[in-house]
Amino acid sequence: MASVDADRSWRRRERASTAGLLSGPVLWLVLFFLGPVLYVAAYSVGGIKIFPTDAGVVSVGDWKRFLVGGSVYLGLFWKSVRISLTVSVIVVLLAYPVGYFLALCVKKRKYVLLLLIIAPFLTSYLLRVLAWEVILGDTGVINSFLTSVHLRSAGHPITWLLYSQFSVVVVLAYVWVPFVALPIFVSLDNLDLSLLEAAGDLGASRLRTFWRVTLPLSLPGVVAAFVFVFVPTIGEFVTPLLVGGPSGYMYGNAIQDLFTRGTDWQTGSVLAMFLLIVVAGLMALFGRYVRVRSVAA
Amino acid sequence: MSDAPASRGALTLLRVFYGLLVVFLYAPIVILAVFSFNDGDPSFPLQGFTTQWYGKFFSNPLLLAALRRSLIVAIASSCIAVALGVMAAFALIRRRFVGKAATSALFFSPLVIPYLVFGISLLLLFTLVDKILRQTAGVYIGLGLHAVVIGHVVVTLPYVILVILPLLERLNVSLEEAAHDLGADAWQTFRRVTLPLLAPALFSAFLIAFTLSFDEFAIASFVAGREPTWPVYLFSQLRVPSQLPELIAVSSVILFMSLAVVVLAEMIRRLVERRYGEEYAARGLA
Amino acid sequence: MTRELDRLIARRIGRRDLLRYAGIAAGAGVLAACKQASTAAAPGSGASRVPIAQEPGGLKVYDWAGYGGGEYYPKDEKATWTTPYQDATGDTPTFVLFENDDDGYTKVATGNAPYDVVHPCAYRFKDYVDLGAVQPWDPSLIKNFSQLTPLLEQFGQINGQQYFIPEDWGYIAPMYNADQVQPQEDSWSLLWDERYAKRIAWINTLEMLVIAGYYNGVADPWTMTDDELAAQRDFLISKKDLVSFFWDQSYDFWLKFKRGDVWIGYAWPDAFGYASAQGMNAVYMQPKEGRIHWACGLGLFADSQNYYHAHEYANVWSDVKTAEFLENFYYYGHANTTVDTSKLPPGVVKALNLDNLEAALSPPLSHQESWISRRDVYADYWGQVKAA
Repeated sequence: MASVDADRSWRRRERASTAGLLSGPVLWLVLFFLGPVLYVAAYSVGGIKIFPTDAGVVSVGDWKRFLVGGSVYLGLFWKSVRISLTVSVIVVLLAYPVGYFLALCVKKRKYVLLLLIIAPFLTSYLLRVLAWEVILGDTGVINSFLTSVHLRSAGHPITWLLYSQFSVVVVLAYVWVPFVALPIFVSLDNLDLSLLEAAGDLGASRLRTFWRVTLPLSLPGVVAAFVFVFVPTIGEFVTPLLVGGPSGYMYGNAIQDLFTRGTDWQTGSVLAMFLLIVVAGLMALFGRYVRVRSVAA
Repeated sequence: MSDAPASRGALTLLRVFYGLLVVFLYAPIVILAVFSFNDGDPSFPLQGFTTQWYGKFFSNPLLLAALRRSLIVAIASSCIAVALGVMAAFALIRRRFVGKAATSALFFSPLVIPYLVFGISLLLLFTLVDKILRQTAGVYIGLGLHAVVIGHVVVTLPYVILVILPLLERLNVSLEEAAHDLGADAWQTFRRVTLPLLAPALFSAFLIAFTLSFDEFAIASFVAGREPTWPVYLFSQLRVPSQLPELIAVSSVILFMSLAVVVLAEMIRRLVERRYGEEYAARGLA
Repeated sequence: MTRELDRLIARRIGRRDLLRYAGIAAGAGVLAACKQASTAAAPGSGASRVPIAQEPGGLKVYDWAGYGGGEYYPKDEKATWTTPYQDATGDTPTFVLFENDDDGYTKVATGNAPYDVVHPCAYRFKDYVDLGAVQPWDPSLIKNFSQLTPLLEQFGQINGQQYFIPEDWGYIAPMYNADQVQPQEDSWSLLWDERYAKRIAWINTLEMLVIAGYYNGVADPWTMTDDELAAQRDFLISKKDLVSFFWDQSYDFWLKFKRGDVWIGYAWPDAFGYASAQGMNAVYMQPKEGRIHWACGLGLFADSQNYYHAHEYANVWSDVKTAEFLENFYYYGHANTTVDTSKLPPGVVKALNLDNLEAALSPPLSHQESWISRRDVYADYWGQVKAA
């Protein structure tokens, strides 16, 4: 009898302690994550009034204007998607050979060599962008080098190296390649080598083995890598701000400008919510590839 | 018909490609380091060796203040995140309750949100809260480091939980139950049995949260207010590199330091894992 | 019995309930915020003012960079603003910076600018007054006020009260590096001269629309219709590829000009001043469409507790020494009429037309930077220029 009571009281305390355990993180996220995001959503439909120019009346007018009213911002969104796609493709193409090499061709010290690739990603993002500003500028490393070896005359530097879409793509690719090497490596590293051997034994050439066995099996890792880069880059605003110039302006910059350079926070909220919905949707769509736990190992 | 995954020719190509990529990744960092000693602007031709930029860095009060602030924010937010993360991980692994999937989704949802959007939402939150406080109590809090800490806890929490969960799963529950039978209450058990066993995960989690917070720019740019953190300060100097040589000196220092930290952390992690691995094996826990 | 109760209570404190309560709290919070976020600050009344000795002090000045905070000339800025103010009141001012007028106004409009004095430019004065954020000055409390020219002080008079005290003024004009650039004519068209692609800097504000308006012959670019705005927008979009960057701070533009990254730019006189001091062959153009003249001035926040302190600060601003600092260092004009122009660098007098203020501030030499009633519409069109 006594042990049953002790058992019950233990369970009761456990349940209470569960609530206690959960209350901390849940409360924090509800107050400081869900709440604010709901505010933005509410603002986007006019439910909040901060400035005199806010209507203060709930309406989907701003959403309509953005989605179907021929808004420039929608065009800017697609431009950002294009840039993001370009960066993602480049990054995956660069990272795959490295992942393949390290996972399948290297026997000793493969993790050290992998760390060598990944390490730059763990250093400061801004500083790595600074490095490219120094390299690409009109009086930067590349141009001054070309001038000093007389490949270009002084006063005529290559101007499109910096403050252009080109520089945005180069810098973003540079920033993301290290990060992307990991999921590709992991998926290739987890390949069952006996499958490759079997293919070889059945008479397939190396190329064929790669094309019909290795590549398809590593596809989840590739898709994960692609998604890891593509999704965040759509809303990228820091790199365009530093090296993009007027033509490298991206969707994230428009959101930032709307919130920091004027009082049209309503349009800004619409743009921000749209980005969030797109990103969340994409993550849900590709969720089965992005097995967060295993990749984070 | 060979079983190697690449022919010798392909292997050489792959080796070269790897080498080139490493060069591509580290060249800008090396260039920064080279020009940090250049007596002049960062462009060819080089103009002589100097260490003056490094000296100037140490005497720049704004820069040092920003670094200090980032340190404070990173430590504070990492501690809170690890504490909350342990609570969350415990509840997810050790307890049964309704709506676990929804709660789990909540815990991991900050992974999805672009920091730009989240930073803006925090700006909105604090703007509205300040408005209310001003009108009801005449109090003004404003933006500042507290806001940055709050934001960083939110975005680092998923990573913290992700790191702690696997280790918590592997820990043998019977150890804790044994402690209970011996008379320890929940808190004692946690403090003297579970926590030490979780140490490597806690260390990793803290490190990850710290790194994330220290370098985080987007959220801080919206809510740091008049207390710029290191990335915010750095950014304000980068927009037009007015003090370029000094900045390059600082950048080189920080980049090499963080590379060293990465290597060190990895070595420590392996060490800890090996040591705890032995202990687990000895106690029959693995 | 009690055990049953305990069990019932324990079961109540479940996660579901917790989330429900949290949700209700959040919802209530949203509703409360929606209701309360709509009222603006009430304007301060002058009825019961404490004497200066009882004011809290710690004057907070909400300003551009370089007007006392020491961003550009630490020693000289301190000597011009902080030290005289300290001598007069024993108080030390602190400076909070905004990036530009938009940034400053936005913060004030959210109600989160708990400062004493603000320094916006004249074309936003009415916006601040409409917000109810500022209260009128009492010029009789400012000793140096009589030395300020009425030509500028009129800009600060709204609804018959001196809401702002205009102090500094200057121009907006194209500036170019004469070593690299030969304009075909003295016109704003230099800002989109295709011969100098990627060597041009524009300002990062909606005033580019106004400039385009003046260039394209719009009657009053400060009150453009949607059609006129659309035309300027499309025009600017078509020329955007020629631009290297949009500047937010004049000093940033100057640094790029100095390094030779840009040769042409929409410029304030301070950039020209730096260039002249550096010995560069810079020209501050008088375009045929006319320059634009701006004036910025001091406002007093409605809920400031430092009424008399603020007036003392305004007195320092109005002093001839401040005028001399601005004119020597920034090539900005100042409202104080007792400045000895013979002591200034000749370039300043010429660039600012200081010898004939009335002509300087009127067409054909310059147009006034006017208040824009449909500012949010202009902002929207400028956003479209950047996004396109």
